Amino acid sequence: MMRASRLATLCLALWALAWHAPARADESTPPLSAASLYNAGNAYARAGHPGLAVLNYERARLLTPDDADLAANLATVRSSAHLSAPAPSGVAHLLLVASPDFFAWIGVLGVLFAGAGSVAVVARRWRRTAAAAIVVGGLGVAVCVANVILWWPTLHAAVIITPDAPVRVAPAPMGDSLFALHEADVVGIEAEHEGFFLVRTSSARTGWVAAANLARIVP
Amino acid sequence: MRVTSFAFLRVVVLSLAVGCAGRAAAAQSVLSATLVPSQITVGQSAELTVKTLGAGLEAVVLPKVSGLELRIVEQTHHLETVHGVSLGTTTTRVQVTPLNAGVYAIPGLTPPAQPLVLRVSVDDAIGKAPPKTAAAAAKPRADAGEAIRLTADGSAFLRLSLPKREVYVGESVPVDIELGLRPGFVNSLNGLPTLTSADFTLNNLSRQPERSERVVDSVGFAVLTWHSVVAPVRPGTFTLSVEAPITIRQRLRPESEAKLEDQLGDPFLQNIYGKTVKKDIKVASPAAQLDVLALPSEGRPAAFSGAVGSFRISSDLVPDAAAAGDPLSLRMRVSGSGNFDRVDSPMLEHLDQWKTYPPKSTFIAGDPVGYQGEKNFEQSLIASRPGPQTLPSLSFSYFDPIARRYATVTSAPLHVTITPAPGDTSAPAPSVAVAGDAAAQSVADGLRPDHALPATAIRSLRPLYLQGPFLAVPAALVLGFAAAAWRQRRPADVAAGARRRRQRRLGATQRALAAGEAAARAGDPVAFCAAARQLIAARVANAGEGGAAAQELQELQLIADAQRYGDTPGTAVEWSRWVEVLRRAAIEPETA
Repeated sequence: MMRASRLATLCLALWALAWHAPARADESTPPLSAASLYNAGNAYARAGHPGLAVLNYERARLLTPDDADLAANLATVRSSAHLSAPAPSGVAHLLLVASPDFFAWIGVLGVLFAGAGSVAVVARRWRRTAAAAIVVGGLGVAVCVANVILWWPTLHAAVIITPDAPVRVAPAPMGDSLFALHEADVVGIEAEHEGFFLVRTSSARTGWVAAANLARIVP
Repeated sequence: MRVTSFAFLRVVVLSLAVGCAGRAAAAQSVLSATLVPSQITVGQSAELTVKTLGAGLEAVVLPKVSGLELRIVEQTHHLETVHGVSLGTTTTRVQVTPLNAGVYAIPGLTPPAQPLVLRVSVDDAIGKAPPKTAAAAAKPRADAGEAIRLTADGSAFLRLSLPKREVYVGESVPVDIELGLRPGFVNSLNGLPTLTSADFTLNNLSRQPERSERVVDSVGFAVLTWHSVVAPVRPGTFTLSVEAPITIRQRLRPESEAKLEDQLGDPFLQNIYGKTVKKDIKVASPAAQLDVLALPSEGRPAAFSGAVGSFRISSDLVPDAAAAGDPLSLRMRVSGSGNFDRVDSPMLEHLDQWKTYPPKSTFIAGDPVGYQGEKNFEQSLIASRPGPQTLPSLSFSYFDPIARRYATVTSAPLHVTITPAPGDTSAPAPSVAVAGDAAAQSVADGLRPDHALPATAIRSLRPLYLQGPFLAVPAALVLGFAAAAWRQRRPADVAAGARRRRQRRLGATQRALAAGEAAARAGDPVAFCAAARQLIAARVANAGEGGAAAQELQELQLIADAQRYGDTPGTAVEWSRWVEVLRRAAIEPETA
């Protein structure tokens, strides 16, 4: 048991080193924060660019999904663009009280609890405490997985940033246009090919949109 | 008999009266008469077109003018509606050929009309460029005066109208194919007209022919006219003709007797009066000779794609302003007449600061055969950098068969302004709202205020659970805990495994012992031998057997071998001893 504890401590130390390495190596990327993205969304909304405004709001929502100002401004811009805002379900609302990073930490702690409890159960020591740790750890992992599932569409979505972006039947500029997407529409990304994205709309319509007409929420 | 003769005389007189009245009426029903051209040279012919009311074959009485030869070459019937009243008219084309130079006056075909004057000179300078009517100019026909050659039985004719007799390889030549069918004598048309020569291709033959009527040698024909385009495939001098499969009704009576049938006019009466048989034939047009010239190699442009004809181009760019990364359509229109199937252009293949795509083309035909029309090329371009851009001029090369040389037409350069891409999210966000935009201002009024910027920031929007370094640690934790649990579980697993193996061996031993006892009770040495071997196998599988058990097993092996290979069955005493040995071999080690 002591060996397992020492191993877990070593893993966490390695993680701390690995986790901070990319931030040091990518100093050229401008620092992001929920507030800066929120303010950028406000600026674009005031300038009459609902697409870029929704894009920045959606990015800010990844960091602070429970921000009331952010939700209000996002709804305002969407309604001004004559777009309906998707309402999250009850369970989804519970999982949106914190950022995905918070739930990632919950998942790591769940793995730690469940692992330690499992080792104790095998060793037949502190059986009640070990069982409780396994239950708590399993719940933590489950909540983290549910959060991943909930955010997965948003992580693979994009926002239309130009007025009336044509959706074509093929990934080529000369492809016939199927229909047009409004600025600030949020679409799912299913594939990418030579500067074009295969998108799926909320009404399950699919087609190819030029990369210049949209921007991924998570670049 | 007298009565009959008188009645016949009355019919004759009445018929003559009606005939005279009809001729007088016909002479007064001329609507118009034109003579084109009015000046010709000796050896040329003018065309007198007379339009009369009615559909009678003898509606026009040609005047007799000394020195002029007038010959009817064609009569067509039309149905016109004037002020809501349908009128049948007949247009008669008369070929007027002078025998000598001079000024001729053709009397008016109607009493109040002025005579038509034809000036004939020996100087061919006058007749070099005779004025053409609008119809003639639109459709020149080199064989307008060609005689029609009927089939042997006079039931049909086929004519190929060629506008010129000297063409270039690949050049499209519009042609008319006229098939005349005499009603009542032609049963069916069995296929479309085809060329008899493999040196030409017949393209875009119209599916539905135009229908009209024509009088040839005072006999009415229903004429089907197809429009098509002929293109030679190799240089040389060739004869060209067309043929069409038809089924005719061949008369069995001699031709001299059949003349009376022809006079009946009505095909129904003809068929009743004269017996006919059906016969499949191919009616062919008279062969026309064409000189096919090769395209000259001198002065051939590098971009020449084989287009022969007369073309002009224009180009534009839509939209005229776009953002960097947005696609624009560069369009080039090639219009004119010629072989549009060979009209091709690569447009702009390589262009700095632009991404070019292969063009696609569409053709809009201006006539039923696609000889005239417009071919549109559209190429998508994407500008990579913002700023004012100039697209170079587009050019198109073709061979002009009239000028007998290659020609290159060029469009004007195009200018476009490329603005920065709106998708460039790395650009700083606007700091102030754009004034004057009412919609944006209303949105700005409904927005909640900005937030204060925090001291800490992140480098990526990607959640932690999608980042590799973060996922490595939970994975390592899972592996570490799995290894620790495996090490903790090993001693208990060893003991449990030994217990399971002992239980399995004991069960097999007991089953073999029961089988051996049953075989002893039945006196079956073979079954006892098999049970003994099973028990030996179960015991030997355990590596930890003691020496006493090994002695019992050895004795049991000897007993089993003796029973299997011996000839004498065991006695009751021997069976009892063998069973005792079997029991000791099975039980003693377990109870020891």
